[in-house]
Amino acid sequence: MTLSTNTIEISVEINGETYVESVPVRMHAADYLRHIRGLTGTHVGCEQGICGMCTVEIDGVPVKSCLMLAVQLDGASVRTVEGMSPAGTLSDLQIAFSEKHALQCGFCTPGFLMVARALETRKTMPSRDEIAEEISGVICRCTGYDGIINAIETHLEQHFSHMERAGKR
Amino acid sequence: MNFSAIKPASGRASTSMIGASVRRKEDARLLQGGGLFVDDAHAANCAEMAVLRCPFPHARILGIDKAAAAALPGVLHILTGDDIEAISEPLTVLRPVPGAPDLPYYALARGRALHEGQAVVSIVAISRAVAEDACDLVQVDYEPLPHATDMTRVLEPDAPVLHPELLGSNLLASREDRAGDPEARRDAAAHRVSDRFHINRVAPLSMEMRGALAEWRGAAQRLDLRVSTQTPHLVRKQLAESLRLDEGAIRVVATDVGGGYGMKLGLFPEELLAALHAMALGRPVKWAEDRMEYFRASTHGRESFHDMTIAAESDGQIVAILNEYTNDIGAWNSPFGSSQLSSVTFTGPYKVADAAVRRNVVLSNKTPIGAYRGYGQPEVNFAREVLVDRLARNLGLSPLEIRRRNMLRPEDLPWTVPSGAVYDNGNYLRPLEMAAEAVDFDAHWRSDRTPRADGRIVGIGLSSFVERTGYASARFLASRGSRFGAHESVTLRANRSGGIDLYTGVSTFGQGSETAFAQICAEVTGISYDRIHVHAGDTGNSPLNTGAFASRTLIAAAGALRAAGLALREKAQLIAAVALDVSADRLVMAEDMVRLRDDASVGISVADVFNRAITGQGIPEGVDPGLEATVHFEPTDASFSFGTAAAVVAVDPETGEFAVERFVFVHDCGVPVNPMLVEGQVRGALAQGMGAALAEELRYDAETGQLVNGSMMDYFAPLATDIPPIELMHTQTPSDVTTFGVRGVGEVGTIPPAAAVANAICDALRDHGVTLSRLPLTPESVWQAIRIAHSKGAA
Repeated sequence: MTLSTNTIEISVEINGETYVESVPVRMHAADYLRHIRGLTGTHVGCEQGICGMCTVEIDGVPVKSCLMLAVQLDGASVRTVEGMSPAGTLSDLQIAFSEKHALQCGFCTPGFLMVARALETRKTMPSRDEIAEEISGVICRCTGYDGIINAIETHLEQHFSHMERAGKR
Repeated sequence: MNFSAIKPASGRASTSMIGASVRRKEDARLLQGGGLFVDDAHAANCAEMAVLRCPFPHARILGIDKAAAAALPGVLHILTGDDIEAISEPLTVLRPVPGAPDLPYYALARGRALHEGQAVVSIVAISRAVAEDACDLVQVDYEPLPHATDMTRVLEPDAPVLHPELLGSNLLASREDRAGDPEARRDAAAHRVSDRFHINRVAPLSMEMRGALAEWRGAAQRLDLRVSTQTPHLVRKQLAESLRLDEGAIRVVATDVGGGYGMKLGLFPEELLAALHAMALGRPVKWAEDRMEYFRASTHGRESFHDMTIAAESDGQIVAILNEYTNDIGAWNSPFGSSQLSSVTFTGPYKVADAAVRRNVVLSNKTPIGAYRGYGQPEVNFAREVLVDRLARNLGLSPLEIRRRNMLRPEDLPWTVPSGAVYDNGNYLRPLEMAAEAVDFDAHWRSDRTPRADGRIVGIGLSSFVERTGYASARFLASRGSRFGAHESVTLRANRSGGIDLYTGVSTFGQGSETAFAQICAEVTGISYDRIHVHAGDTGNSPLNTGAFASRTLIAAAGALRAAGLALREKAQLIAAVALDVSADRLVMAEDMVRLRDDASVGISVADVFNRAITGQGIPEGVDPGLEATVHFEPTDASFSFGTAAAVVAVDPETGEFAVERFVFVHDCGVPVNPMLVEGQVRGALAQGMGAALAEELRYDAETGQLVNGSMMDYFAPLATDIPPIELMHTQTPSDVTTFGVRGVGEVGTIPPAAAVANAICDALRDHGVTLSRLPLTPESVWQAIRIAHSKGAA
């Protein structure tokens, strides 16, 4: 994507790789990830920070990348859906999504995966209502959310029980 | 049809693939961010398109000054309405309104724009950003004209006529279907209830918007178009017509589609524009719709009003239903235009022989309406089911009892409705009784409507429905003027690795067709599910088909898959029989081997058999090489899904606030190929039905005629926190008119929610005499209904 505008050099770590390159100052972060870095798993659905399709993890926090400029990624550590699991494999969370039928068209799925992964950093297991609250920044028009909540709940139950066992050891 | 012939070919007869909730084939790529949606595809040297749109509901275009835009560095090509007639034909309509003239709909406005968001200028530049900058530099001299946006007033004498060269008014068409003598039965009946019901205009709101990537190789006279569509082959047909190209010059591809819901049917102006620019420039052109464009230029759904009367005897027997309804189609006839199914299912699951329905289709200065999940059935269900409850209250009967007394019994089926459609076999009472029992309807009905400790009153509402799924033959479609067939098709091709490549024109937009198709193929051939590779949505490799809409895919495709699978299996076993020197009927193909049924030690690998067929080496005398089958299958009848929903709603009688505390949904979609997919379809459609019933509405300002909430900030699609607790139950009545007994399931959940919730609110407030007849149902509208009821009561 070419933009007739000034550029600024940034240094950003994405999925374990560091990139130092010039980016147009008017380009938003989602477009940078998609069209410069080729990470098209991050989608764009409204560019107003509502739908959550563009959610990525920046410095450990889920962020709507359509509301950021690419230049704001300078010095940041970014995780996208492509970095969730080694290429060609699925993480436990991703497998839970498949088993619980948490995706249909799959356009919103990367956004939900990003938000769900951030829930692993909580201290305690969230309730179903809390999970619904936590994912309400991403819109799914296909599933009615039940499968998504089931998948996240199942995954987090396993995750927290592992953590507990590890803590006791 | 003989289903016993397709017992699983696998030796493990108990492990049928049909009815198994296997994990989806689509999931792995989508979970890794490896989907291929339109804007994910890339072409070398690609330019990008932006569209300048009319900001007025109706305006004359006096002049367009594009000099400054053309001079902007990076701008490559500009098209306006003055150019469009010379280089293209109007977009064609796939499902015209019967009896209506074609309205010439060019890709860009010519002289006059008829709705906010209509494309006026398209610009291609080296980037989307430059193209948008250039749009800002175009000076369009508009003369705003009087507009007609309120659908209840577009037929008034002073309303501006949108298409005066073809029509004398904004009435596009009117059609009646009738049976018996409903007027006489109505006039003679002891009781009548009537009302006008308003159905809101809503956005289908796919998360992936539309888009196009057009690549033209002039020397080869070859156009490749990647789009987000449910109907690649029909887009190809329409493109050929509008571009004046032979269909053979065009390939249309839709790999992953980020939601469709009926909206993504057929060709839209911007996709045609991308192709026109690419052909003019000789380089690839991409257009990715943004959400502001989506709300104004992608088709809307639903908007209509229904004037319905139900007449009954004192015992509750319904003797006549009359419905006259009006659909607002917007400014043009979109590829799928106005929903027609209100006319098919207006009598619902009830035994009413005397009934009439008139459909009026009107034009307005708004975004065109297209198909949207349910396509007329949620609309008419709201009117009918709310009126049935009112009738019950008037007669002192319970809403459960009046439904019980009027529902078609299994022995009444098949049943022909006034439109000529035929309900196939079913048992409509069972879901009704199951839903009623789940919420203990009888006990609730007898109880008082006293507020709980929190001040809220609990009401329960029922909503019964039938849903037409699939099309009853090409002959039926021809009688309605539809320009597509009723069939589906599939090609199965053996490959050298011992797997099967399955080619279908049905694109993948979340419905799980890759999975369901592979399950049926595995069931019929015996080849394992994992070895079946589905190639979907590419006109370059799939047989001509119709596409995925009208809950029709499996109803038509199952027959094609079954026949193609049997043909492939039969030939493979014939080749194996010669190789093993046994008779073919003693063989069974299962997973990776073809073996003797009664001696598993004698066998040949499937890969060996397939290689023999593909090379022609080691196959029987007189047998042609190759191992593939293409089958087109046309169902003879539509099938009707059915069921009943029950909503438990707590209402605050002071403020009108309410909450759906339980939603029970009992339905029958025949034999489910994959129960997990069925549940996903039902829950997803229920969420859309709830959204349209309780929150969503595209609103136009009465004075300016402009869309006031056309952004994600202002349009309230349901979030995870908005979905009430839903309890699903199924009955399973195999359809006796479809392959495997399947019925369609994609749209059914959109149908009952509005009436179930409205009936529950009115039930909670029955002592107040509240009636509801307008969607969406909001605390404000309930509060107003309470005030109106109280003022009537006081008077």
